[in-house]
Amino acid sequence: MSYLKIEDMEITFNSLKGSFTAVKNINLEIEKGQIVSIIGHSGCGKSTILNAISGMVFPKKGKVTLNEREIKGPGPDRGIVFQNYSLLPWLTVYQNIYEAVDAALASKPKAEKKELVEKYIKMVNLWEHREKHPKEISGGMKQRVAIARAFAIDPEVLLLDEPFGALDALTKASLHIELLKLWNLTQRSKTIVMVTHDIEEAVFLSDRIVVMNNGPAATIREIEEVHLPRPRNKIDTVNLPEYKSIRERLLSLLVEKVEIDESDFYKEKVA
Amino acid sequence: MKRAIAITTSFTRELFSGSEEVSSDGLFKFFGKIFRALSNIVYSLLGFGILILAWQIISKSSADGLPTPIATFQVLWELVKDPFYDYGPNDKGIGLQLGSSLARVFTGFFLGSLIAIPIGLLMGANAFCRKVFYPIVQILRPVSPLAWFPIGLVAFQSASKATIFIIVITSLWPTLINTAFGVASLPDDHKNVAKAFGFSKWKYLTKVLLPFSLPHIITGLRLSIGVAWLVIVAGEMLSGGMGIGFFVWDSWNALSLEKVISAILIIGFVGLLLDKGFSYLEKKVTFSV
Repeated sequence: MSYLKIEDMEITFNSLKGSFTAVKNINLEIEKGQIVSIIGHSGCGKSTILNAISGMVFPKKGKVTLNEREIKGPGPDRGIVFQNYSLLPWLTVYQNIYEAVDAALASKPKAEKKELVEKYIKMVNLWEHREKHPKEISGGMKQRVAIARAFAIDPEVLLLDEPFGALDALTKASLHIELLKLWNLTQRSKTIVMVTHDIEEAVFLSDRIVVMNNGPAATIREIEEVHLPRPRNKIDTVNLPEYKSIRERLLSLLVEKVEIDESDFYKEKVA
Repeated sequence: MKRAIAITTSFTRELFSGSEEVSSDGLFKFFGKIFRALSNIVYSLLGFGILILAWQIISKSSADGLPTPIATFQVLWELVKDPFYDYGPNDKGIGLQLGSSLARVFTGFFLGSLIAIPIGLLMGANAFCRKVFYPIVQILRPVSPLAWFPIGLVAFQSASKATIFIIVITSLWPTLINTAFGVASLPDDHKNVAKAFGFSKWKYLTKVLLPFSLPHIITGLRLSIGVAWLVIVAGEMLSGGMGIGFFVWDSWNALSLEKVISAILIIGFVGLLLDKGFSYLEKKVTFSV
């Protein structure tokens, strides 16, 4: 019996124009401590699958189970990093993390909660910025706050919804490393499910990559296993032959034409 | 990379903290501020100059039907020189009249807000409450609050209390509508944070809903106190007894247009102060994204 399991899931949304099936026939089993990416074009229902695991949306058919318990709603065993950081603008960096910890780990004594918050702020190197409000820090820093917030509640599963999509390439690379560091610091015990549209990011971080078909009513196209050695780094890992072959395989799955040939050039019509 | 972030943030901090160190840049900004303030004063003086000139011309051409500015300012000076005298029920200083009006406005405004904010929160947060209350708001909001005066009289058997009652009614609508709007416009992102991390109802209210809607609520309060200050003058003309509205009516009965115009100037000035106070509060609680 696997740890996180999605069985024959179908999710539909009701709108004014009628109902719309986002994903169907989704079957996915994830082992504890794995990093799994879900990749596909916009509107293929990647985020919908993630939201079903988080408990924000409910399947019309099938079910999602974690540790053999069906997911009925959001819970502190699953930490979420949202696409657009979703920090509360009226709270400081410290308060943003503290309020989440305070809510998710309500029964712990206050001193212990404060200790946790401080530990994770230091882990993501934001100690000097702890009294700042979100508007005063850069996008990369905001995302580090969001990641620290998700880790600080010590969840078993981390759900990342296009976490690095809005960041520049350099910031993105350094956050990939930071994410893997945090994962290592917790003995690689946390399961990470990430939605992305960045092929290289998916290959670099994941153990498995779920490739989606285009929506509506998207299904899983195939699942790629990534056997790159860990710990990974941005120089050696990306030069491994396996890295390149998986990247090319994904590229050919997701992009119809990888090359431009002669027939694409504009030719003047002879009247 | 990190270094670059540190430098940019310290740079932006300096830019936005109103720079405490005196740099040539800071000095430049300081004089810029003074210059802007001075030029604003000049513009205001110009405007009032035009108004007073027009007033002088009209009062001369109406054969002193309208008192001249000079005569009016003399009366105004007499009024503000000794604002707190009390020679019995029909002869009190302008300060006492103003104080009595302000006390009524704030009592009514406070009670009105106490009703409007919770209902506004409910209407914003809950579609059922919105659908139930909104038609009532739509019907009652366009009614002049003075129309409620007789009902206040019947209910409270006192003209003074009835005046407070109409201020309560006046203060309801802008606060209620702005509060409901503020709460209803809470982005899904913020709601999702509360959901994902399992915020309690109380934490959701105090850390998400109220901080987000507070600027809208204060805007509502600011509009309410503005309308309340408009309505109190008319209300006190009806109720009589005491207050700045009564003073205007009493001055008219005594055929002193100088006093009426002086009162208008004072009412305008107090209204301006009330508005400034609330817009200061508004700026204080507005967070920037």
